[in-house]
Amino acid sequence: MTPEMMTNLKLFAPEIALTFFLCTLFVYDAVLPSLRKTLFPLIVIVFGMGLAIWATADVATGVQTYFSGMIANDGFGNFFRIFFFATAAICAIVAYGSKELETSGRTEFGLLLLCITFGLSLMANATHLLTLYIGIETASILSFAMAGFARHTLRGNEASIKYLIFGALSSGLMIYGFSLIYGYTGSLQYAEIGKYLTAHADGRPLIVLFALFLIYGGIAYKISAFPMHFWTPDVYEGTTSPVATFFSVGPKAAGVAALIRFFLTACATKTGEGVWTSIPGLSLPNAVAMIAAVTMLIGNLSAIGQTNVKRILAYSSIAHVGYILMGLVGMEKTGLTAILFYLVAYCLMNIGAFWVVGIVSDIKKSEDLSAFRGMGWSSPTLGVCMAVFLFSLTGIPMFSGFIGKFLLFGALLKAPGFLWLAIFGVLNSVVSLYYYSKILKAMYFERDEQVVALDLLPLHRAGLVLLAIPTVVLGLFFGPVIEFAEKAVLSFL
Amino acid sequence: MSCILTLMTFIPLVGMITILALPKNNDNLVRWTASVFTAIPLALAVWLYMNFDTANPGLQFVQQVDWIKAYNIQYYVGIDGLSVPMVLLTALLSFLCVVASWGIDKGVKGYYAMFLFLETGMIGVFCALDFFLFFVYWEIMLLPMYFLIGIWGGKNKVYAAIKFFLYTLFGSVLMLLVMLAMYIYSEPHTFNLIELAKMHAFVGKELVLFGWAIPMDKLFWVGLFIGFAIKVPIWPFHTWLPWAHVEAPTAVSVILAGVLLKMGTYGILRMNYSILPDATMWASNFMMILGVINVIYGACCAMAQKDLKKLVAYSSVSHMGYVIMGMASFTTAGVNGAVLQMFNHGTSTAMMFLLVGVLYDRAHHRWIVKPDGSRGFGGIASTVPVYTGYMVIALFASLGLPGLSGFISEALVFLGAFSNPRFQVYVVIGSIGIVLGAGYLLWMFMRVFLGPLNEEYANLEDMTWREKFTLIPLAILVIVLGVYPMPVLNLMSSTIAQLLTLFNKV
Repeated sequence: MTPEMMTNLKLFAPEIALTFFLCTLFVYDAVLPSLRKTLFPLIVIVFGMGLAIWATADVATGVQTYFSGMIANDGFGNFFRIFFFATAAICAIVAYGSKELETSGRTEFGLLLLCITFGLSLMANATHLLTLYIGIETASILSFAMAGFARHTLRGNEASIKYLIFGALSSGLMIYGFSLIYGYTGSLQYAEIGKYLTAHADGRPLIVLFALFLIYGGIAYKISAFPMHFWTPDVYEGTTSPVATFFSVGPKAAGVAALIRFFLTACATKTGEGVWTSIPGLSLPNAVAMIAAVTMLIGNLSAIGQTNVKRILAYSSIAHVGYILMGLVGMEKTGLTAILFYLVAYCLMNIGAFWVVGIVSDIKKSEDLSAFRGMGWSSPTLGVCMAVFLFSLTGIPMFSGFIGKFLLFGALLKAPGFLWLAIFGVLNSVVSLYYYSKILKAMYFERDEQVVALDLLPLHRAGLVLLAIPTVVLGLFFGPVIEFAEKAVLSFL
Repeated sequence: MSCILTLMTFIPLVGMITILALPKNNDNLVRWTASVFTAIPLALAVWLYMNFDTANPGLQFVQQVDWIKAYNIQYYVGIDGLSVPMVLLTALLSFLCVVASWGIDKGVKGYYAMFLFLETGMIGVFCALDFFLFFVYWEIMLLPMYFLIGIWGGKNKVYAAIKFFLYTLFGSVLMLLVMLAMYIYSEPHTFNLIELAKMHAFVGKELVLFGWAIPMDKLFWVGLFIGFAIKVPIWPFHTWLPWAHVEAPTAVSVILAGVLLKMGTYGILRMNYSILPDATMWASNFMMILGVINVIYGACCAMAQKDLKKLVAYSSVSHMGYVIMGMASFTTAGVNGAVLQMFNHGTSTAMMFLLVGVLYDRAHHRWIVKPDGSRGFGGIASTVPVYTGYMVIALFASLGLPGLSGFISEALVFLGAFSNPRFQVYVVIGSIGIVLGAGYLLWMFMRVFLGPLNEEYANLEDMTWREKFTLIPLAILVIVLGVYPMPVLNLMSSTIAQLLTLFNKV
């Protein structure tokens, strides 16, 4: 082994750790299937993710890219690594005890979860279109299987097929875009593409714009942004709740990371400490602003008429991607910091909200608004936690979602000429209150005569409270997380 | 005692946590706990009143601690003449409302927990001197309010609650944008309201919106004004008010009308007037017109109501119009009158709502004239004489009878506005509101209390000791301040004089 390879492998240690625990789980499941019913798979995942996070924190800095320039090694990527590992661990806890998964096996869920997390980590760190493609495909193909967990229901099959068709379509479009880019610039490496596009600004053929649009389309599918958002509500509704929980956070964050990394490296140049300018002839800020506006509008307006809580949250997750994209408009560090902070807040509140839906649907076999009737009175813990998550999603102060919006809008106002988007964005968040409050209304304002207390697993109760507490704490004391996110952004390659 | 404001703000929050920790099914314990935790801030408020230096126009009892250094956000509280009457009013009304809510028997723990949380938000808003802190308090008040209306409200509570929430959130997101923009365009970046007021950083700059370059300070002014106008509420943003006031339980209506409406006008004085004086001057005519519309429109709507509570709700719209008129006059008398009117309306309208609640508790309806056209109440003065006595005080204070508190503040407002030659016509129009006010109130009194007795209500029970307990302090205030308003006027006059120097320069 050459010394270079050793360094490369050391930098890849978190993913190697992840793979090791993946294999452990796989082997144990094959040899001792009786362990399935115990806490063992959960412990392996949580411990493995903890170790992977520790390994990430330990990753040596100084080496910019590795594996021959295929993967980036920077604070930005490491931030996302930690994010994915933590998300995977939380989702494993969400899945534990979920009745929807019981027949299909929680271990399989755990296995797929870890594999997908591996793909997500690649996506976020790719500096080469091939790595990006491998990352996306690893995540997607396994996601199709994961979406099909509810294979005995019609909806579950629909979800899986829909996800597959959309995934295949978008990945086809994206790889077509890659080939066009390769044909024009002669490289698949982000930085090289950027250099070539900057140098050949005059007389650039329209096909480049087309190719970039196709690549955006592939990523938009992952983050469910306009125009590739159609699958989201159907898939979330059809699949099991733990799966929807994970889909609404993990792949989205990876898509956002990939989007930022690709477009800021290949279509923009770094013009200062944490400042980028799009290359001549491409107005990234305007394009992103339009996409953000349309995405949040579609998400919010569609959510209004829904009566299925999972669909409401699915549409709301589309809207949140719209908010997140606002952070990219300014193309500078405050906006990116805001995005990272928002993702952390979003991870807490969205997982929390989906988790509550999962628990309710496990018990009441329904995700309809009517299943939530009187829940605030019959099971106060669930009710209060859900209220916290929903207020946070709306962006009410004292909750972390507000700080996320506060930072995003602050960054947007700094960018001259985007006041319209800021106003549009805040009005959208008013609209969102309407549909979130429908859930609150069902929980607190409509009391059933016969109150059935919902049984909560102690693990779930503790988990929900542990998600709700940081949702509030981060809304009041957000300094450290912002500093951490800012450091990550400043080390962006 | 520099931490007195912090204590006043957070003692109710401690009370909320205590209440949530209390055992279930012991409602009386919850009620007493809530009374204790609202009585302490009231006691502190009395101490504050004793120790407040009226000669000092600046801030007092200041506490300033770094909160989030990265964004220069501070926990910065303090009070001056503008906020001190409001803090006193809030502490008083909160305590009285806890007592007035004794009859609530559904979800008592939740009710009082929400109520105490609300008090934290209210006192916080009046004490906060950092925009971020102000905004956090401003918004967290919405949560308990939403639940208080939505859970413990009347027939249309769900609609009323969401309408209130959406409307207010709409206003506050605009405020959020202005807050962020002020931070970004101030140098050095700050949320400190006092620093921002000293800076004059937004005059002469422009912001681009849809290709138009708009003067920055005027844009900020409008953004803030809409946010506050919704809370006041200023026409045409008032449509949430009748719903929320009518559907809310009695004590919550009292808080809504007595304290929350004042936050709008307080915000305008604290933000628009202090930070953006030039834009305020620019908008003074506009404000005066809106004030007059509020007065007349509110009075006309009140005249048409068949529901007693709705009548009181619309009378609030009308009375807040006087506050706007006084503020827009830019005269010492006018602005003093406006702030005094904020206080006086707080006491008189609180009495009105409490009295309506008392009647509703007995008769289970509030119709002056029933929807089918038949008589609602009638001639009940003979069956409930004590009740009628309190109603007379509240009613005449509300319509501005000399000798009661409303008269002084309304007179000051008109005096101030009339002495500014630009506004004399508006004053003449606005004074019609007084006549209309007398009209709807006396007409209501006639139909409900006088005339032949409606036999259905021959056995109405008169006031209980608990109801009297909530009304007597307010009645005393109404009468005393009507004869001798100086205790309250002294608190504010020096600060207002200082505030007005901003406008005599420009």
